[in-house]
Amino acid sequence: MRFAIVTFLVAGAVATAGAQQADAPPLGALAPANLNKSRPAAPFDVTGTWLNDIRFKGSWRFGPPPDNVKLKGEALKHFEAARQAQAEGKVYHDDIGQCWPAGLPMIMTRVWPIAMVQKPTVIYMVSGFMNSFRTIFLDGRPHSDPDVVVPSFNGESIGRWEKDTLVVDTKYFVGHHHWIDSGVPASTETHIVERIKMVNSATMEIEYTITDPKGWDGEMKFTKRWNRVDDQDIQEVSCLPDLNQHIPSTQSKDNVR
Amino acid sequence: MTSRFLSALAILLAAAVSVSAHHAAAGIDRTTTKELKGTIKAFSWQNPHSWMEVEVVGEGGKVVTWTVEMTAPSYLVRAGWKASTVKPGDEVRVTVRPLRNGDPGGLFVSVTLADGRTLTERPVLAQAAPAAPPAQ
Repeated sequence: MRFAIVTFLVAGAVATAGAQQADAPPLGALAPANLNKSRPAAPFDVTGTWLNDIRFKGSWRFGPPPDNVKLKGEALKHFEAARQAQAEGKVYHDDIGQCWPAGLPMIMTRVWPIAMVQKPTVIYMVSGFMNSFRTIFLDGRPHSDPDVVVPSFNGESIGRWEKDTLVVDTKYFVGHHHWIDSGVPASTETHIVERIKMVNSATMEIEYTITDPKGWDGEMKFTKRWNRVDDQDIQEVSCLPDLNQHIPSTQSKDNVR
Repeated sequence: MTSRFLSALAILLAAAVSVSAHHAAAGIDRTTTKELKGTIKAFSWQNPHSWMEVEVVGEGGKVVTWTVEMTAPSYLVRAGWKASTVKPGDEVRVTVRPLRNGDPGGLFVSVTLADGRTLTERPVLAQAAPAAPPAQ
């Protein structure tokens, strides 16, 4: 009888502890208990400051859409209107110039460097353009519950290592004032996969696959490169109303909004 | 690495005005330049773009204020600039790529100061070498 009572109490304690563990919030990326978990060593470390290499063909823009892509719906209307504006020498929906975030993927290829800090559980990126902040989680977590996640211009990025490549899956984007390229809108359905690898210790290459069932049929694929710029740091920068008043190209009446 | 950065920057600045701006620049006439002879009204040393205002005496003695968009201080420093390089009241000649619509504004190309120095946005080292062609 005594043995049965002890067994019952122990089992109850274990069950309670298990329930508490299951209910515990997941560890943050910088929690020591998360950082110190046993993991295979990362194949490479992107920590450093990087600048998009515009000498590499196609490295700067995410457009025009490749021939295999068929724009549709609102995206097609935007694209045709943008082409018309361009033919008239006008700017089409220059939302970045009006302080809307560039967002992924465009933020990766602005002409300001990006600082990257890699830990075992996460990569943080801060762009020299508007200090845009991006997080890539590497700690094995899944994407968030769509009923909980807060959409953002850089989306939610989850990375995993595949041999010498970091594969990053990003979704949950803001679907307004957010552009893949001039006249090609992002939407809440935009999905981006980046395959990141090091060409050498100073050159990084990313292959992009961008899909959006709301905006087009087919996959947009782009390959781009970045170089380390070890003599650069990221400084504080904001999009300010009084600055924009003195930027002629954002104030021009030739902007189609 | 510095040379790699300067090389990339030189190409970037030589390639296209729209590349150097954080926003679309289709409203800028990239086929021409305009020289402004006038007086610095204001100069702001800030990210992501510096800018200056230049007062130009136009027809009939009317003063027109031109707004000139520039790149970031981190790039300007490499082109020989400091925050004190120009100040209100300085007599200058500024070359810009003007707005298409004729409004008094444009993208900065170069400035010639009262002491005769001419500054651009291109790194000093890159100015000594021929600019490479754009990659795209």
